[in-house]
Amino acid sequence: MSEIIEDKATTNTVSASVNAAVSIESPLHYFLGKFSGMAQAKKGAVGLVVEEAGLRGHLNLRGNPQSELFTAGVEQVLGVTLPLSPGTFETNGDNSIYWLGPNEWLLIVPGGSEGRTETALRQAISGHIAIVDISGGQTLINLSGEAVATVLKKSSGYDFHPRHFGPGRCVQTTLAKATALVSKKADGSFDLVIRRSFADYLASWLLDAGREFGCRIETGQR
Amino acid sequence: MLTRRIDRGADNGKPIYFRFNGKRYQGRQGDTLAAALLANGVDIVGRSFKYGRPRGIVGHGAEEPNAIVQISHGSQTVPNLRATQVELYEGLEANSVSGWPSVDFDIKGSLGLLGGLMPPGFYYKTFMGSKKIWEFSEPWIRKAAGLGRAPVEADPDVYDKLNQHCDVLVVGAGPAGLMAALEAARTGARVIIADEQNEFGGSLLAATQTLDGKPCREWVSQTITELSNFNNVELLPRSTVFGYYDHNFLAILERRTDHLGPVATTGVRQRLHRVRARQVVLATGAIERPLVFANNDVPGVMLASSVSTYVNRYGVAPGNKLVLFTTNDGAYQTAIDWHSAGREVVAVVDTRHNPKGEWVDYARKLGIDILDGYGVIEARGGKRVKAALVAPLNREGSAVTGPPQTLSCDLLASSGGWSPAIHLSSHTGAKPVWSDDVVGFLPGESKQKERSAGAANGTYSLLGCLQEGARAGAEAAQQAGFGTDTSQLPLPKFTELQEQPQQALFLVPHSKRTSRAPKQFVDFQLDVTAAGIELAAREGYESVEHVKRYTAMGFGTDQGKLGNINGMAILSKALGQGIPETGTTIFRPSYTPTTFGAIAGRDVKELFDPERYTAMHRWHVENGAAFENVGQWKRPWYFPKPGETMHDAVNRECLAVRNSVGILDASTLGKIDIQGPDAAEFITRIYTNAYLKLAPGKCRYGVMLKEDGMIFDDGVTACLGENHYLMFTTTGGAAGVLAWLELWQQTEWPELEVYFTSVTDHWTTATVTGPNARKVIEKVCQDVDLSNDSFKFMDWRDGTVADVKARIFRISFTGELSFEVNVPAHYGRYIWEKLIEAGREFDITPYGTETMHVLRAEKGFIIVGQDTDGSMTPQDMNMDWVVGKKKAFSFIGKRSLERSDTVRENRKQFVGLKPLNEKEVLPEGAQIVNDPNQAIPMDMQGHVTSSYYSANLGHSFALAVVKGGLNRMGEVVHCPLADGRNIAAEIVSSVFYDPKGDRQNV
Amino acid sequence: MLEIYCPYCRETREEEEFSYSGEAHIARPPEPEAQSDEQWGDYLFFRKNPRGLHHEMWYHQTGCRRYFNVTRDTVSYQILESYPMGENPTVTTVANQTGDAR
Repeated sequence: MSEIIEDKATTNTVSASVNAAVSIESPLHYFLGKFSGMAQAKKGAVGLVVEEAGLRGHLNLRGNPQSELFTAGVEQVLGVTLPLSPGTFETNGDNSIYWLGPNEWLLIVPGGSEGRTETALRQAISGHIAIVDISGGQTLINLSGEAVATVLKKSSGYDFHPRHFGPGRCVQTTLAKATALVSKKADGSFDLVIRRSFADYLASWLLDAGREFGCRIETGQR
Repeated sequence: MLTRRIDRGADNGKPIYFRFNGKRYQGRQGDTLAAALLANGVDIVGRSFKYGRPRGIVGHGAEEPNAIVQISHGSQTVPNLRATQVELYEGLEANSVSGWPSVDFDIKGSLGLLGGLMPPGFYYKTFMGSKKIWEFSEPWIRKAAGLGRAPVEADPDVYDKLNQHCDVLVVGAGPAGLMAALEAARTGARVIIADEQNEFGGSLLAATQTLDGKPCREWVSQTITELSNFNNVELLPRSTVFGYYDHNFLAILERRTDHLGPVATTGVRQRLHRVRARQVVLATGAIERPLVFANNDVPGVMLASSVSTYVNRYGVAPGNKLVLFTTNDGAYQTAIDWHSAGREVVAVVDTRHNPKGEWVDYARKLGIDILDGYGVIEARGGKRVKAALVAPLNREGSAVTGPPQTLSCDLLASSGGWSPAIHLSSHTGAKPVWSDDVVGFLPGESKQKERSAGAANGTYSLLGCLQEGARAGAEAAQQAGFGTDTSQLPLPKFTELQEQPQQALFLVPHSKRTSRAPKQFVDFQLDVTAAGIELAAREGYESVEHVKRYTAMGFGTDQGKLGNINGMAILSKALGQGIPETGTTIFRPSYTPTTFGAIAGRDVKELFDPERYTAMHRWHVENGAAFENVGQWKRPWYFPKPGETMHDAVNRECLAVRNSVGILDASTLGKIDIQGPDAAEFITRIYTNAYLKLAPGKCRYGVMLKEDGMIFDDGVTACLGENHYLMFTTTGGAAGVLAWLELWQQTEWPELEVYFTSVTDHWTTATVTGPNARKVIEKVCQDVDLSNDSFKFMDWRDGTVADVKARIFRISFTGELSFEVNVPAHYGRYIWEKLIEAGREFDITPYGTETMHVLRAEKGFIIVGQDTDGSMTPQDMNMDWVVGKKKAFSFIGKRSLERSDTVRENRKQFVGLKPLNEKEVLPEGAQIVNDPNQAIPMDMQGHVTSSYYSANLGHSFALAVVKGGLNRMGEVVHCPLADGRNIAAEIVSSVFYDPKGDRQNV
Repeated sequence: MLEIYCPYCRETREEEEFSYSGEAHIARPPEPEAQSDEQWGDYLFFRKNPRGLHHEMWYHQTGCRRYFNVTRDTVSYQILESYPMGENPTVTTVANQTGDAR
C-alpha cells in the first residue's frame, strides 16, 4: 500500500503523547471505585467485580480470510492465529484477536502498541484490507464473581451457559439496551468490550444489576 | 357450631394477623388469604359486576372469579389479585375490589330490581347509544363495577428480568409435571420447572392417597429434593407461565417477595423470566367446572375440589353440612374428605341414574347418602346458602321429572367435570379439539415444540398423569437432543379407585324454563347467566366470539376460567348444534394478570433508555450546561450563566461566536472510516456529488439520498489518503448510514472492494469557531501552518494540539472561521480544557446545540430531519449545486429526481421567512397560507421548519418550505396560529447572514 | 419474538439483534435512466405481501453486521431457512417446507 496510508492514517494512537501533563480519562474513569449493594461492597467480597483493564490498543481489522497471505501475515505480526470460526477468539496473553464477522476482527494489543501493530500489519499484508484504530472508542472490562452468570442473564438474551459458551468463545450481542462483545476467559470470568459513549449507561446498569449481590467497579489488574 | 379449623396438631401453622375490608382477623402460617377468610367464616368477599349480588369464595386457585382483592395500599398496592393465590403474611391488608360502598351493603344489590333490567348488551344498549349519557355514566359504572385501583405513587420496589435458556421447560409441578422434570433432568438436559403455587405438588398437595406407602406430600418433597440435587435443574415456585409466544419463547412471572409483605422488599420483588425453551411440557392441570343451576352464586356454593383442598391442605372446613352435587365419580372424593373430617355429608346428589363402581360403593360403605338421578336445581339462601332444592332429572339431565325437595345445608359443592387448562397451548395458535370422552376441549395439534401431559391433556387418573408426565419429559428431552424417548423411571406404587363415565351436563334444568327461573350463573365475575346466553342466541348472535363480546362472558380478570366451557355448551344447545361446531374462544396471554413493574423490570428512571455521553460530558455538567436529548446522546443545549434565561444565554453565545470565538462539543457526529481501492467509487455512488478527484488533505460536503430521491443524511467526507476516507454523518443518522453503506456494498455491489468501520466513539471533536479561532488554535498547535494560504477552508491537517496528536478539519457549520479539533476520546476532556484555557483571553464561549442551530440557520444550512422530512429532494432544498450532473454512475436516488412527481412545478421549496413584526418568533411547524381569512380548511402552502430570534441580525427569522417558494421572494405569507394570532412574514432568501460566505474563508 | 439463524455467525440469535430489511431478491435495475417512470416506481415502491412463504432480508445489526436472507412463513412465523446474500432460497413452495431453521 502507499506511503500515504502508513504515514497519515495511523498517527492517532493513544500512546502518541509522551507528555506526563496530558491527562487521560478511560471510559469508566468516573465509575472507578463505585459500588452498590451491601456496605462492605467497597472493599470486601462481592458477587460481581467489574474491572476496567488499563487502556489497551484496539484495532478493527478487515480482510479476506481465504487469503493465506492475509491470515499468515496477521499471525506473523501478532503471534496469534487469526480465528476463522465464528464466535471465537485467540490470545497469547499480550495480543488477542476476536472474530466479529466473516471478514472482520477486533485486535486488542497492549496500550501504546496499536500504531506499531498497524504499521507492521500493513507492511506484512498486501491486498484489500482495512485497519482502523478505535482505541479511544471502546474499553475492555472484566466481569468476575459468583453472580456473573446471573448478571449476564439479566443483561442479555444470549445463552452464556458453559455448555453453550465455553472458554475461547466470543459473541457480539445486545447488553441491556446497548451492545457488547462478550468473551469467556479460561479462568471462567468474562471480558466485555463496550463502546465509550455507552460506558456510563452500562456501568450504571451493572451496578444496578449487581446490587443484590454486591458490586464493585475497579481498575483492573488482569 | 363446629369451628372452621380442623385441628392438625403439630401441622397447625402459627397464628398470623391480617386485615380484610378493614377488619382484623387471625389466620395461620401456610394459609392463603382465601383459606384464612373461610376459616374466619367470612362469607361475602365481593359484589357482582352488574347485579351487585353478594359473592363468596368459589375456588382455590387461578380460577377464582369472586375473591378479587387489592393488597396493601399506597405505592406498593397491587390490584386484582385472587385471594386464593395470596399467601398470608403478618400485617397483610386486603380489600375487595368490588362492592360499593361496601361488600356487605351494596347499592346495586339493594336496588334489587335493577338486575332484571340489565340484560346482556345492556351497557351498549343504554349507555353507548349516546356519547353524552356514556360520559356521564362511565365514572359511576366503573366505580360500581368493581375494578381494582391502579397505584398512583411511584413503585419503590425492584423488579427484574432474567433471560433464560433451557432444553426442557416444564410448566406445572403436579404429578405429571414432576415426573416430566425428573425424566428430563436425568438425561442431563437443562430443565426449568415452574409452578404458580407457593409449593410444588399440584393436586397431590390436597390428595389423601399414599404413594409408595407414604403420604403424597412426602413423595412430593422427596421428588423436589431429587430435582434440586441436579445442577441442571432450576425450580421456580410462585412462578406463573403467563404467555407462550413465537419460537418457543415463554414468559414467567416469578413472585419472589410478595408473600413476605411490603416490609421485606429489599431484594427483587418480582422477576420476569424470558425463556427460550427447546422443548416444552405443558402440565398445567385442569380446572373443575362448576354446575350451572339457579342461584348458584350464593356464598357457600363452591367447587368440589376446592372444598377438598381447603380441608386437606389448609385444615379449613368451609361449613358444616355439605351437599355434594356431581356428574362424575371424581367428586365423590370431596364427600369422603368431608366425612373423614368429621363433618356431615347431607347427601351426594348425582345426576347419573344408577351410578355404579368403586367410588359409589366406597361412599356408600362410609354411610353417605346418594341421591342418584337427581340434580340441585336451585340454591336457597341470601348471604349464605341455607338449603339445596333437589329434584329428579331425566336420564339426559335435560328436564326435571318430579317435584323438588329441600335439603338443608350450609355448603354446596359442585362438580361438572374438569376442563383441561389448555390456555398456553392455545397461545401458540393450536386449535382446541372437543372430546366427548373427556367432556372438554383438549390441546390442539402442536404449533410449536410442546406437548401436554396429565390433566392438561384430559388425563385425570393419577396413574395416567404420572405415566404421561414421564413420557412427555423423556420425549421432550430426547427431541432437545438428550437421552432416549422412553421413560425409564419407576412410578410410585399406589392404589386408585377406577372411575366410571361421567355425565356431560352444562346447564341444570329448573322446574321453570331458563328465562323464568332464578338466575343461573355461567360467568360469576361478569354476571353472565344461562338466560343471557340464550337471549344472545335468540337475538341472532351465532359466533362464539360475538356472543363473548355481547354478553361479556370471559372478559373479567379471570378470563372465564370457570365459565367459558359451560357458556359455549349452553350456546351450542341454544343454536341447536354441537360444541365442536360452536368452538371455543381463543385464549391469549396473559394467563393471569401480570404487573407492569415486572414488564418494565429495571429499565426505569435513568436506565429507561441509554444516555450516551461524550468524553467532555462531566465538564459540561460541572459548568452548568442545560442538556438536550439528541437521539440517545445528551448534548449541551446552552450554558446559562447565573440569572440568565435560555434566551439570554443563547443570544450571548451567538454574539460571542460571530464577534470573537466559541467552542462546541461536536463529538456526537457520526464518523465512518472507509478504506479500500473502490472507496472513492463507492462514496460517489452513495452521495449526490463526486469524490473521485477529492485529494488527500481535502474535504467535501455531500448529501445522501434514498433511492426515492429524498435527502436522508448529509455531512462532510475527508480524503485521508489514497483509498482512505472519513465520512461524517448527522448525530442521529450514524447507525442508519453505516447500515445503508453496508446494505449497498453487501447486496448490490459486492465486487467493490471497500470496508466501513464506525469511529464515532473513537474521536472526540471540539469545534473552535469565530473570527478569533485561529488565534486560539495557534496557541496550542505549533506544528501546523494555520495560515489561510496553507490551510484552506475545507482542508484538514494532522498536527499536535497541546501535546496530543490531533486531526484538525477546517470545516464550518457556523459560517465563521472554524477549526474542528479531533483527538482520541481518552484525551477529550483534556483537550477541551486546554482549548478553553487557550481561548480565555478571547473570552472563548462554550455554546450548545441551540446556538449551533441559530448560527447555522442564519447561514441557511439545513439540518436533515428538521428542515427535511423524508420528502425533500436536493432541488427542493435549493441545493441543486450539490448534485453531480456528470457522474458516470447513476448514484442512489438520481433516477428518482427525474420522476414526474419530483420535477413537477409547485413543489415545496426551501426559503427564508422574515416576520413583519421583527420581535415575533414563528412557532416551528406553523402552517403557512396565503390568505389567513379564507374558510377552513385553508389552502396550505407549506410549513415553518426552523425558527429563532437572531441576536446577530437583530430580528426574528425562520426557515420554511413553501410551495413554489423560490419564485415567490418578497411575497407576504401568513401563519394563522391555534391561539388566534396570525403572524405575517415575507418570503426571503434562506441565507440571512454573510451571503457570500466570506467569513469562513478568512 | 423470533429466533433467527445467522448464516455468518452460524448461530440462532434473538430477534432484538436484527433489523428487518424488507423483501429479498430485489435487484437494482442496472440502467436506472433507461427505466420508465412506471418501471422505476415498481422497483421503488411495490412489494409482495404474501400469506405464506416470504423471502426477506435481515441485518444482523448488533452481531456481525451482515445482511442475509430468510424464508419465513408469514402465517406461522416459522423460519424455514437462512441463506447468505447472493444465494437462492431452497424453500420456494409450501410443499417442501420441512426443514428446520438451518
